Amino acid sequence: MKRAVILLYVCLLPLLTGCGAGLKSDRHDVERLLLIQTMGLDGDGESVEMSVSSGLGPEDRPSLVMSAPAGGIEDAIARLQNYSPENQLFYAHVQYLLLGEEAARRELAHVIQWVDRSPTLRMDTSMLVVRGTAKDAVVGTSQQSTDITQRLASMDRQARSMGWTVYSLREVAADLAEDGGALCLALEVAPTEGNVFTDEMRADAVVPAGYAMLGPDGLVGFLDPEQSLGAELLRGDPAGLLITVSGDTLEILDASAHVSGVFGPDGVPTGIDVQCTLRAGVLEKAAGQDMAPEALDAALSDTVRDWVAGAAARTQEAGCDCLGLGRKVLSTAELAARWGGAWEALFPKLAVTVTVDGQVERSYDMAE
Amino acid sequence: MDEHLITKKQFSAAVLVSLLSPLLRLLPQTAVDFAGRAAWLGAAAALPPVTLLGLILTDFQRHMRPGEGMGGLLLRWLGPVAGRAALCLYGAWFLFYGGFILRSGAERLVSTIYPSSGQELFILVTIALCLAVSLGTLRAAARMAVIMRAVLVGALAAVLLLSLPNMEPARLGPLGWRDLPAAIPGALPFASVCAVSACFTFLAGYVGRTEDRLWLPGAMLLTLGLGGAICAAVVCVFGPALAGTLTYPFFVMIRSISLWDLVPRIEAAVIAVWVGADFMLCTMLLRCAHEALRPVFGLPAPDSLPAGGLAGGRWLQWLEAGAVLGCALAFGLPPWRLRLWSDRYIPLASDIMLYGGFGLLWLVTLPRRKKEKSRGP
Repeated sequence: MKRAVILLYVCLLPLLTGCGAGLKSDRHDVERLLLIQTMGLDGDGESVEMSVSSGLGPEDRPSLVMSAPAGGIEDAIARLQNYSPENQLFYAHVQYLLLGEEAARRELAHVIQWVDRSPTLRMDTSMLVVRGTAKDAVVGTSQQSTDITQRLASMDRQARSMGWTVYSLREVAADLAEDGGALCLALEVAPTEGNVFTDEMRADAVVPAGYAMLGPDGLVGFLDPEQSLGAELLRGDPAGLLITVSGDTLEILDASAHVSGVFGPDGVPTGIDVQCTLRAGVLEKAAGQDMAPEALDAALSDTVRDWVAGAAARTQEAGCDCLGLGRKVLSTAELAARWGGAWEALFPKLAVTVTVDGQVERSYDMAE
Repeated sequence: MDEHLITKKQFSAAVLVSLLSPLLRLLPQTAVDFAGRAAWLGAAAALPPVTLLGLILTDFQRHMRPGEGMGGLLLRWLGPVAGRAALCLYGAWFLFYGGFILRSGAERLVSTIYPSSGQELFILVTIALCLAVSLGTLRAAARMAVIMRAVLVGALAAVLLLSLPNMEPARLGPLGWRDLPAAIPGALPFASVCAVSACFTFLAGYVGRTEDRLWLPGAMLLTLGLGGAICAAVVCVFGPALAGTLTYPFFVMIRSISLWDLVPRIEAAVIAVWVGADFMLCTMLLRCAHEALRPVFGLPAPDSLPAGGLAGGRWLQWLEAGAVLGCALAFGLPPWRLRLWSDRYIPLASDIMLYGGFGLLWLVTLPRRKKEKSRGP
């Protein structure tokens, strides 16, 4: 009896290898796996179009770029698999998730829910909103020697080094749930005709285009590039951002923003006070200009103040606290308990006051 | 009998590993549902009911004779009729709960790693393994638990450590004294998880006699600590609002972990390791059910019997495994309904059976205990 039981268990062991009958449909044949690295999604609330790119393969094997319209995301995935029967499309290593403008407007909640339930995609995938369609970005920028993933990776590195934040789907979803609004880096497809003269590099490029403002229901608008810089100052770590002031190119060395609430006599929030301090260095000086140090400091402060105030005003117009100001204003448990529920209604009506103390450091200051 | 006794350390390991199964089934999403950002404080808020249950269980243990578990104690205190009825009730509950654990474990594994597979295969393989281990000695299972404790707690610690870069501690705040009442509902899932350790009093007869009888409360407190840490980590990563809406926030968090470029994803390994906790709990529930039901049929302790064959009461163990399998197969609900059972109905029933049942037993047997005490040792 004991031997029979042992034999029975030995017979069960092959089922645990992942190749057994019960697991057949989840089996991944390594030789046939094609790793999808960038996924683009367009949609109008009724149907979707998914575009994918596999990234460049070894020995300059060109990237597989495909697109499929369908009723839903899973349906689109099934169709894409039909277009490439020789490969098994594998989505566990998707690095970038691009949402077309319309999809960001109508499908955002759907996408977040789908990724949560997906056993392959991860919530930490970088998410970007494309001004236009995601298909244009995925398909239009791929060529023999380069593809969208390579372009996005390059843009990602460049954007991060310049102080921009490439938010992940997790960060976007968490901010949406917490603040009722979130920011997401937007990008646009830029034609390279007239700028790039090597034949195999002449496909369209992707460039950052400020931040997209997302509300609980989806995209509510875009911040201008300058307002985006103001938003970055309020939300993230803007060190490395380049600012052009009176023809001079300045690089932000460090910056901080202190946000506090202004309350009326009865304790009702009436405004938001933002105090920024930033230190910048001159990266490139305009020819023939020699502004007085105080004048350059004032110009920097004025410029940044306009950007920060513009970003705050834009989010107030949109009715979404994409900058997370509520969390900073209602920073104590008492305030959060009292006004947290009413913040969404209060936020657009609050007066935002911004003061900026900018200082430009110069090499001759150090010499002195 | 002595060669089948296990040490209290081995037994604590078996309790802790088993508690990790309901811990990740209920936490953090249920605690976040109930208490929002104060979810992790639910661990502290659960201390009073958990301590009370721990004291009741310790008191029961104090009155057990050498080699006697909760089954023998109930029969002795409640008499043959009421005692047998209570044992049948608990035996049936353990089998039902074991079946649910099998089903929910299979659902979690399939929905997070093998989406195209059926859950039945996993249920069959797991129950076969549970039966094999429960037919062996409890000592072998407890020694296995010691190894599994190291693996599971190690995996949990590694996951929490590797998730640190994604954590924003600011998402835990703002919390003030006013938020403490909000943490009280958050204590419910923590208390439910710890209550499962009450099942293990049915196996207390196998633990070597020691003066220190606090090993059960110790495992419960460690579970509370781990649960609090998991809740705090998940809230730091996702924020309370998002964590409450995700299906398995802890496993979604694991999905985002990579060991730099060396190992891009580790979630399959971690989730698969967690099957070990389901396996251990199901095995222990099979043994608990057997310890509850064998006095009813007047059967001997299984550890001294040969593992093969159906003689000497082995038939009951096969029957119990069949009942667990039947319950698991009967729980073939759609995922959202299974989650409702998992988050609400099962913990409620478990709390009634364990807090309510053990509390009631303690009260009912109070005169008996006083009488025993007045007689002296």
